[in-house]
Amino acid sequence: MITRVWGLSVAILFATVVLLSFFAYEIPTALWWLFSIVAFGGTAVFVFQQGMTFYVIRRLFEAAFAVLVIATLTFILLRVLPGGPFDSDKALPPEVMANLAAKYNLDAPLFQQYLDYIGGLLRGDLGQSYKYISRDITSIISESLPNSIQLGVYALLVSYLIGIPMGVFAGWKPNSAVDVSCMTFAISGIALPSFLVAPIFILIFVKTLGWFEPALWEGPAYYVLPMLVLGIRPAAVIARLTRASVLEVIHSDYIRTAKAKGLAARTILFKHVLRNSLIPVLSLSGPLAAAILTGSFVIEQIFAIPGVAKHLVLSVSNRDYPLILGATLVFSLFLIVANLITDILTAIVDPRVKMS
Amino acid sequence: MKRILLILSTILFAAACTKKNSSKLEYGLDLNETLRINLETEPPSLDWSKSTDTTSSLVEMNIMEGLVGYNLSDRDLGSAPALATEWKPSDKGRIWTFTLRSGVKWTDGVEFTGQHVIDGWERLLNPATASEYAYFLFPVKGARDYNGGKLKDFSKVGIKLNDQKQLVVELEKPMGYFPMLLTHHSTYPIRKDVVEKHGDRWTEPGNIVTLGAYKLKVWDHDRAMVLERNDDYYGEKAKIKNILGYMITEYSTALNLMEGGKLDFQRTLPFKELPKYRGFPGYRATPLISMYYYGLNTRKPPFNDLKVRKAFSMAVDRKQVTDLLAAGHAPLTSWVPSGMFGYENDIGTKFDAAAAAKLLDEAGFKDRSKFPRVRLAFNTNENHQRVAENVQAQLKKNLGIEIQIENEEWKVYLKRLQNDTPNIYRMGWLGDYPDPATFMELMTSYSENNHTGWGNKSYDQLVAEGASSLDKDKRRQIYSEAQRILTEQDVPVIPIYSTVGHLLLSERVQNFPNNSIEHYALKGVTLK
Repeated sequence: MITRVWGLSVAILFATVVLLSFFAYEIPTALWWLFSIVAFGGTAVFVFQQGMTFYVIRRLFEAAFAVLVIATLTFILLRVLPGGPFDSDKALPPEVMANLAAKYNLDAPLFQQYLDYIGGLLRGDLGQSYKYISRDITSIISESLPNSIQLGVYALLVSYLIGIPMGVFAGWKPNSAVDVSCMTFAISGIALPSFLVAPIFILIFVKTLGWFEPALWEGPAYYVLPMLVLGIRPAAVIARLTRASVLEVIHSDYIRTAKAKGLAARTILFKHVLRNSLIPVLSLSGPLAAAILTGSFVIEQIFAIPGVAKHLVLSVSNRDYPLILGATLVFSLFLIVANLITDILTAIVDPRVKMS
Repeated sequence: MKRILLILSTILFAAACTKKNSSKLEYGLDLNETLRINLETEPPSLDWSKSTDTTSSLVEMNIMEGLVGYNLSDRDLGSAPALATEWKPSDKGRIWTFTLRSGVKWTDGVEFTGQHVIDGWERLLNPATASEYAYFLFPVKGARDYNGGKLKDFSKVGIKLNDQKQLVVELEKPMGYFPMLLTHHSTYPIRKDVVEKHGDRWTEPGNIVTLGAYKLKVWDHDRAMVLERNDDYYGEKAKIKNILGYMITEYSTALNLMEGGKLDFQRTLPFKELPKYRGFPGYRATPLISMYYYGLNTRKPPFNDLKVRKAFSMAVDRKQVTDLLAAGHAPLTSWVPSGMFGYENDIGTKFDAAAAAKLLDEAGFKDRSKFPRVRLAFNTNENHQRVAENVQAQLKKNLGIEIQIENEEWKVYLKRLQNDTPNIYRMGWLGDYPDPATFMELMTSYSENNHTGWGNKSYDQLVAEGASSLDKDKRRQIYSEAQRILTEQDVPVIPIYSTVGHLLLSERVQNFPNNSIEHYALKGVTLK
């Protein structure tokens, strides 16, 4: 009972935050606090109750270790990559090169640079960008990350809202017209790249119908197209997975029992089939968040969204070492946390799963 | 019960929320008084001693000014007074004396003085600043040593104020075009007190202090920037009150906005969009001081042989390349791009397939199968690829030689040019200032940008003479002689074309300053 109330409050609070942000309302700080306390506090209590505390702490340690390994590997790979940050078609005189190297600590021995970098990381200092002179990485990322998260969350919601109903209807009546059309959508959604879908949508919804804005990130009319385009592929994946899972569940014994008991089709569908067939979908959420994040570069470019994905890509061609490292770490941290949340959620939804 | 309470409180929260300013995107600006431009990217820095890119300089040239400006109505783009009202050379052009404008005020009300110029130059050259453009002032006496840390005392660098508060600059050696260097943003004056007060954040709105026709009002990183007319500007005030700069990288997105009437100025157009936009009233094509060429590695066979180099240069019909790109570029055989002082149409190795084949025969390659394997390299880009494929086909047809083409990512490519120069390499050059010296210096034997391995003493000497001369006609003569050595006599390079820039304006924009250096000072622009 308490879990239900808690789950419902989190869901309502989350929906409120999302809706407010979507309609470009200022979100009060108190609401953020309430949401964080309810969500994280509640999770902590649940974790403790289920005896998962040790498991979660272990996972957090693993995460820290993974971040360290990623930081190290990225650092090494960057130095192996030919071409330095200050190489350009206008070669610089040696004096100027030496000054640049000294300023950015590039003249120190490589191992020393590595130690300095890791030291900075532990202090929460990601260094200064080479390209965006005088801006530190922390501020670049903290200014662009919220937009990316906003886009990512919308896209994820879109993909659930489209994917799950489609999969359920398709799986409930296999080989029907609904099934065939849903699966045609799913296959096209997976096959069509977003750099193709985006211009098509712009052509239809902006140029022909005039419903939305073609670019920038300023309010609902701007949010709809990017989140749809970004959400389509995961929606297709979810639809296929849900369908397969529904098909499996409706052939299981307990559904047959429910049918034999004479329960209404609606009750069977919503109470028994849906809940059980959503577990695989839920466990897919972590990798799905990854796909959305890494897929958002193209979307951010086409719709001119000031997000963090472009830094991840463009910093590499600029050889902006601190920014590459910073963006990589933020992305990996994000994925690790998304996976952890997914695992905990799975444990909450499915009592059969024990993580301890 | 709990649930109801929760829902109720949530609704209360929602009700307490305030809607963000709905016209946030336009920053509450009156569109009739606002020019909306696309900066294309976030300006990497507005610190004019440090920035190196065209986006930053577009903003900087509107909020700041240097000692010398451009005379944009002059076809050769001569200099014009700016913060200096006049300048005079002495000692054959080794010493330059600048008379400074009086009554110029910075945006915080402080009066502009010569000390601000000296502070700016000290900062540019200070090793701790680590400015990439520090070399712009290397011609100044002692500047290079100061930047290299060999000279610690800046008062020994050749820049001083005299009794009449004029700025006296002493150079290492005579240099006729020195004032032209002072059009560049790296040499602008700076307010040392402001930089010291705010540190790295001195370029943020509220901190930054400038003296140009516009001032920085808003800088929403990665999103937009707003410039506002500076009512205390010393010259004629800007016509349009605000400039709103978006940061939209994707061409098609910007062009969509333009067609939707949400943008007034797009700086660049992709080649493939040209046929569509050529007919638009706001389309402008302008020759730039920029050129595209192939360099030949003269250290290794087969291009250590002059005849082979000449044969290759002669076998490329530049017009085919420019027709293929269909971007209005002008075929180029000389070294200085067309449309600028020093360009002469008749210089260079002209296309002649028969003569080229004959030269190659004479070089001992009558049997073409004996010709070594030649690789042509370029950095990964659709247009470079098209040019390379075209040249490859032309060489096959005109010389009967099959070359290999290969591409690499930009920075990898740059490394390769230094370490293992390919037989033929693609490069381009965009002049930093409208003087042929910037192009001529490029191919001197001591230039870090000359990857051909070629060097010629008389060429070096001519370039040095051209730089020091104060006589325009004499300079023209010197530079044509040097260009003949480069493109007719020794041929370590194959010039391909001089570049044309394309931009798009909305129909309401008037008096836009089109020019070959992309110096878009927007103060004179008006809106219909």
